[in-house]
Amino acid sequence: MKTKTRRILALICVLMLLAAGLYALVWAKINLPPTYDGSKVNMNEVVDPNVEDLNGADGAAAIIVQKNLDEAYAANDVASVVFDFRGYDTLGESFILLTAIAGSFVILAISHREAGKEEEKDEV
Amino acid sequence: MKYKKGITQQNVIVKCGADKFLPFALIFGLYIILFGTVSPGGGFQGGVIVASSALLLYLGYGYKTASKAISSEALRVGESVGATLYVILGLGGIFVGSVFCRNIFYNIGPVGDLISGGTITFMSYAVGFKVLCGVGFLLLLLMGILAPDTDNEKEAKE
Repeated sequence: MKTKTRRILALICVLMLLAAGLYALVWAKINLPPTYDGSKVNMNEVVDPNVEDLNGADGAAAIIVQKNLDEAYAANDVASVVFDFRGYDTLGESFILLTAIAGSFVILAISHREAGKEEEKDEV
Repeated sequence: MKYKKGITQQNVIVKCGADKFLPFALIFGLYIILFGTVSPGGGFQGGVIVASSALLLYLGYGYKTASKAISSEALRVGESVGATLYVILGLGGIFVGSVFCRNIFYNIGPVGDLISGGTITFMSYAVGFKVLCGVGFLLLLLMGILAPDTDNEKEAKE
């Protein structure tokens, strides 16, 4: 009986959280102004085809490098993307490594200890 | 795991090879970490290369020497220090008034210079240090599993 009531309580809590999250989502969608809506952007203003050479071999790449230098002032585009524009991604990757090492440490330590115990039993 | 007698003794050729290649592996990995923001490479890759030099030490001298030469406790602490440094450097953008991981103080050198990347460079160093410590710790762990149990028994008896 106790476990059943606990489960029902937990279900109610989860449903309440879900409802609050959905309400927040709908509220944000209706009331908050959009941060970026591509409708009013004129691509010819961002990248002027008369000024910048789009037909050359390095056309688009040169524009990307120039825009990145203006934005982040890093010579390596990949580094600036990995550490600046997508910093959360790198953070998550490094924490994946941390978690993987912790998990393998636990598994290997347990298996090592169990192997030692089995050998002791065999010797006895 | 049981090994035949004498198989734990290290080969002279492998030992000499490890001696020769260990400094090169360390220098190459540290170079890749240092120049991660202005060249192909980066923190992750350089860290893994530096950590792989621990494997060379193991091949040349065995688990006992490798575990004595490399402090696993320091590696464990270093990984956390690297992760914390990355988060602190990322939070710098919020304190300036922009978003997380924003590149602050970037006008500090000509483009293509070593520290021209600003915060990105130091974040790359933090990630490199973290990966160096983490993968090094993992390799030490695997070495401990792979090492013959006779060493451990001898240590226990002593």
